[in-house]
Amino acid sequence: MKNGPLLFLGLFAALSISWGAIVLGTHAQIGALTPYYDDTEGASFPKRGSGLAAQGEREYIALGCVACHTQQVRRPGFGVDDLRGWGDRQSVARDYIFQFRPQLGSLRLGPDLANFGDRKPNPPDADELYKLLYAGTPAHPSYRFLFDRRRVVGERSLVALNLTNELAPGRGYEVVPSSKAESLVAYLLSLKNGYTYPEAQPAAAPAPEKKAGASSEKAAPAATKAPATEPSPETEKSNPRGKRPEQAVPAAAPDENKKQTK
Amino acid sequence: MTYIPTTARTGPRAGVAAADVTPMDVAARGPLLLLLGSGIVWLVLSGVLGLITSIQLHSPHFLANCSFLTYGRAEAMRETAFVYGWAANAGLALAIWILGRLGGNPLRGLNWLFGGAAAWNTAVFVGVIGIAIGDLTSFSLFQMPRYAQPFMVVAYGAIAIAGILAWMGRRTDGTYAAQWYALAALFLFPWLSTIGQYVLLWAPSRGVVQNVAADWYAQGVWTLWLAPLGLAAAYYVIPKITGKVLANYDAAPLGFWALIFVGAWTGGRHLIGGPVPAWIVTVAVVASVVLLVHYLIVFLNLRSAWGVPSTALGFIRFGVVAYLLGGAIDAVTAFRSVALETQFTLFDVALQQLALYGGLSMMFFGAIYFMVPRLTGTGWASSGLAVAHRFLVTIGVIVLVVTLAVAGWSEGADLLNAQTPFADIVDHAKLPLLIHSGAQFVLLLGNLLLLANFLQTIRTSVVADVIALNPIGTSEVSAT
Repeated sequence: MKNGPLLFLGLFAALSISWGAIVLGTHAQIGALTPYYDDTEGASFPKRGSGLAAQGEREYIALGCVACHTQQVRRPGFGVDDLRGWGDRQSVARDYIFQFRPQLGSLRLGPDLANFGDRKPNPPDADELYKLLYAGTPAHPSYRFLFDRRRVVGERSLVALNLTNELAPGRGYEVVPSSKAESLVAYLLSLKNGYTYPEAQPAAAPAPEKKAGASSEKAAPAATKAPATEPSPETEKSNPRGKRPEQAVPAAAPDENKKQTK
Repeated sequence: MTYIPTTARTGPRAGVAAADVTPMDVAARGPLLLLLGSGIVWLVLSGVLGLITSIQLHSPHFLANCSFLTYGRAEAMRETAFVYGWAANAGLALAIWILGRLGGNPLRGLNWLFGGAAAWNTAVFVGVIGIAIGDLTSFSLFQMPRYAQPFMVVAYGAIAIAGILAWMGRRTDGTYAAQWYALAALFLFPWLSTIGQYVLLWAPSRGVVQNVAADWYAQGVWTLWLAPLGLAAAYYVIPKITGKVLANYDAAPLGFWALIFVGAWTGGRHLIGGPVPAWIVTVAVVASVVLLVHYLIVFLNLRSAWGVPSTALGFIRFGVVAYLLGGAIDAVTAFRSVALETQFTLFDVALQQLALYGGLSMMFFGAIYFMVPRLTGTGWASSGLAVAHRFLVTIGVIVLVVTLAVAGWSEGADLLNAQTPFADIVDHAKLPLLIHSGAQFVLLLGNLLLLANFLQTIRTSVVADVIALNPIGTSEVSAT
């Protein structure tokens, strides 16, 4: 390797090829994904979040929530995300097209939040989230800087937190969420992946079973439970292979829709 | 150029033979020591942040009410200080010094180097403050806000000029593996960073394309920038100390090109099961296995480091073992069935620490113990501090990686059991995480010793310079 220019060209080629293939290739494949229009619903998915939720997304990023929470559900049969109530289907690229900066994350020190607004068995409500953020739990820090403790002037604020015992702010005081906390909670409640896109349908049934069978011992319980949650009989009927997804989806969608409106 | 002061200064206490200090070293002393010194300061800072985040892992309420130090922000700051503060500064100092020495001419472009070092550290400082106030990007190894990153590319370019000039003006016809790796690191980071900034910050792609790009960038930072910097140091220092040609040196070019061409493709293994095209993961799994060729050749080459007692080599031996081990485990965890257990757990963090602390930093430490006496012309101020540093860091890194791996493994098993609530998952990993905090403390302590030793050495060297230049004032100076 005496040739300097050749070394330079080699370096340039190595970087360009991997960039071209991985970044540009992915961009070409899924960089222009559009929302999916469902005829039966008369609506397109994913739905764009509210302005407040979009602000909350920035807040979520700014606080670094992604350090402990992923936002990607693994497919039923690969892990137990479905059994933990994080979502019935795998997350797909289309779920994220309206997100400013998808917070996929890489560490689960806390639960996955991709489908948090529709969490099973009981979806969260705003009060619960405010309380969690204010008081924390043994596994979650308390972020009191997201709240204002202030003197009650006139009537107690409608949004003030109902705190008891040692958390109570003291007589004549109340704790109200700051605008940051409000937008953050609006964002968290807006995280819903209820709609099942054609590409998010479970693949042909044998695939996950074969996968789980081949994997390690610890994956075995997941595999045995997985078939129960897989909607294979109905889905197979309503979405036969080779049929165009546009025709197949409406059959699967109404049942998903119920979950979403819940 | 005269270098009488150098020879005059190498008195009996010096740890370096006079002939080993060259005019190249003397001329470049100031800027290179600036880079190195700022690197060590960043290392200590990241150690403080690492201690904080390690405590937050087992006691989430620690400093939780300080918005600057939420776990997410503190962790981003720790990582940034470590990679862009410590590893970049120290690695650049080593790479440029190596290119200068192997080029055979005194380093040129030193004003650029000086200005670039100042600008780089200012940019990193601004970036870390930006993270603290909530402007982090949320992408791993790419956390600094948009207003800091462009300056880093410019500063990096200014620093790299000295290295490029040394390469262009080299006297020898043949080149060495250390030069290839150093040069690759100098060239590749600005490209990587520019592309990363463009597709992630200035013209963000839609949806998860960003995550794929961020993953490619983060993998590139390791395989195309940091790992070459570490290997450049190891490939240079080992034959220098042992006085022998590296074993199986003929294979070194293959090892180099395997890393450069295949390395960046392995990033997708972190996206297993994620909402990205499946081919990205498949390609990454294959690439992780192909990359074993690189690790094999590095092993064949660098096994020459064994058999010669030396503090510097001791660090580098540890670094090589950690680097190879990290590469092998990376390949194993890239398989989907293993990733099912280890993905999203602290096991991944353990692997990153194994690579960045056990592999890279230990190689850097070794090379620094070799380089500083040659730059200053005096030996290290205290060999006791050096021994203590080596002891603490070795223990610290081993305990750090093992505890994180154990915690990650228990976490992975718990995550796969849908009945285990999160409070219990944290609880089960509490003991290893407590010990992990201890390891962070030991590492911080060790690196403080390095900083003290480094500053003391500089002071001795400056005093010696003053004595050499002002013979009249000798008595006053030595009296202090």
